[in-house]
Amino acid sequence: MTRLLQKNGWTLGLALLFAALLVFTKVIQPGFGLSGLDSLARAALPFAFATAAMTVVVLAGGIDLSVASMMAVASVTGARLMEGATEAESVWIVGFVLLVGLAMGALNGALIVLTKVPDIVVTLSMLFVWEGVALLILQGPEGACAVWLTELIKGGLTLPLIPAALTVWFPKAAVLVIVVVALVWVPVRRSKLGLSIYAIGSDPLAAFRSGISLGRTRIAAYAIAGLFAAFGGLALTMSTGIGEPIPGPYLMASVAAVVLGGVALTGGKGGLVGPILAVFILRLVRLDLTLMSVDPNVTTIVEGTIMVVVVMFGGILAVRGRKR
Amino acid sequence: MKRLLQGTAALGLAFGFAGMAHAEGYKIGISNTVQGNGWREEMVCAMKAQALVSGKVASLNIAHRNTDAAGQLEDIRNLIQAGVNAIVVNPANADGINAAIKEATDAGIVVVAVDQAVTEPSAYILSNNQEQYAYIGAKWLFETMGGKGSVVYMRGAAGAGADNDRDAGFKRALAEFPDVKVAQEVFTGWQQDQGKQQILDYIATGVPFEGVWTSGIDNVIVDAFVESGTPLVPIVGADNAGFVGQLATVEGLVGAAVTNPGSVGGAGVALAIQILDGQKPASNTVLVDPSLWANNTDDGKAQIAAAQNPNLDPEWPVSVSIPGWTTYSMDEIIACKGPGE
Repeated sequence: MTRLLQKNGWTLGLALLFAALLVFTKVIQPGFGLSGLDSLARAALPFAFATAAMTVVVLAGGIDLSVASMMAVASVTGARLMEGATEAESVWIVGFVLLVGLAMGALNGALIVLTKVPDIVVTLSMLFVWEGVALLILQGPEGACAVWLTELIKGGLTLPLIPAALTVWFPKAAVLVIVVVALVWVPVRRSKLGLSIYAIGSDPLAAFRSGISLGRTRIAAYAIAGLFAAFGGLALTMSTGIGEPIPGPYLMASVAAVVLGGVALTGGKGGLVGPILAVFILRLVRLDLTLMSVDPNVTTIVEGTIMVVVVMFGGILAVRGRKR
Repeated sequence: MKRLLQGTAALGLAFGFAGMAHAEGYKIGISNTVQGNGWREEMVCAMKAQALVSGKVASLNIAHRNTDAAGQLEDIRNLIQAGVNAIVVNPANADGINAAIKEATDAGIVVVAVDQAVTEPSAYILSNNQEQYAYIGAKWLFETMGGKGSVVYMRGAAGAGADNDRDAGFKRALAEFPDVKVAQEVFTGWQQDQGKQQILDYIATGVPFEGVWTSGIDNVIVDAFVESGTPLVPIVGADNAGFVGQLATVEGLVGAAVTNPGSVGGAGVALAIQILDGQKPASNTVLVDPSLWANNTDDGKAQIAAAQNPNLDPEWPVSVSIPGWTTYSMDEIIACKGPGE
């Protein structure tokens, strides 16, 4: 039990911080309730997928600067194909967009492995490439989104056989994040591939000597990131009902959430739950700053300061824990 | 862990008190997705100044950052959570934020979209009348040319909504002057260097022309005439600081600036307050008419002189107010202070 607590200390701390912030929000805005949780989850949706994508490559010892651009490609591809498509056709379109995401990620990884150019340089170039591709697909904000997709993230959860009152407080958008991340990441994490991703992230040489294929593992990690980015792009289309070719502010936000989520930027250490909790914390902080009508130019300073303070606090706690 | 919690609580308390001040009056939310652009900064300052001088606004919640439509959805929903009475928004695009606008109007919140339209029918739209913008400038130009001759027609960006509206206004004026012909029609893309090259190319052909109409790429056109030693013809531009300065100082230049004020933001706040007070406009779409400042009339000269304010940000459009809508003074918008600041 204590080992479990120690191992997941950071994540637990984030969960407590999130709970404390929820209480604080309720105090400053007594009207905060179901609709508040719903809008929080919907705001977090694209950030959560961008962060999941970034986390996987960071765990493998890399970094993907093209996350936001891949999201834009996925979003405009989906929105353009869904214009005039039937609901049934849109199911295939979703599958196609996810495949496009997987392919974009795999291409990122393959370029890094084959050219031996550092991750940061390749993905920086791909940031511009995918941005251009998105603009080729749609010149302006246009397109459409299937109704079942927009309904997927609207309102609270209702399940058959269970009274709605028990589940309705839990936003569907949050369910979508949990289900998608679990479906993709749990099988990977439990397989040899998951172990290999952590291994090449913490010590590539040791991993190589243990017989792990560095190149293949790296390509797989980037492909998974591409898949998550595609989910992020679809989340954008679900929210706005259209596709926007210009990438949104998801790159820096995902790096921030990865750091706040307790993942080492050097790779091999951390998980997916922490960063996603961090996304929810950062969105809730923005909500609180809006509720308190803090000067918009001060808002970003506060957001940055909170991040540094939390990471610093965590660092101090970790050092103390080790001494004891 | 305990420390982490204590730290959070302390942080929370520190920020908490900032929001505790409550006064009588409306609470208005603002959402804007472009930060650091002169036109948009003027818009936000106009919103603050108008809210302050109206005396009816207790507080402003401003979400002003660089983001996409999804981020603006978040901002609007946060403003709904903050319990505002009205939201004035410069939309990221026409369709992407409809869902949140519908949620706001369903909650009884007045939503006014300024500058650009949204397709959600429950929102009010207040924007500059771009058709009229082109019409009054072109009409002045054709009159100044004596009702005959040829004109160089320098448009904005092909396909842009504002450019299409302006083209309709220009054509309407052209129809009223049968002896005026368009010598050359070009798209500047609203790019300074491109516009300058295009007019230099046309001057080089040696074909005479009697006037230039521009869609706001104006000061470089005057520069091109002056630098190439070509005799000046009447020129129409926008109320950009550079061009308005030239209208006051360049020897022999006869020209007019048509206003395209960023202060529509202030007008949007004024409209939101009117609606909250129970005075609904006849139509959901309200257009603000531009004014024309020509340096060949005493009235225009006075307005051009008044706009030469060294305290004014050179990146701002110089028309800082909209007659009939905004009630603040130039000093108040430059101060950029909202209620409670």
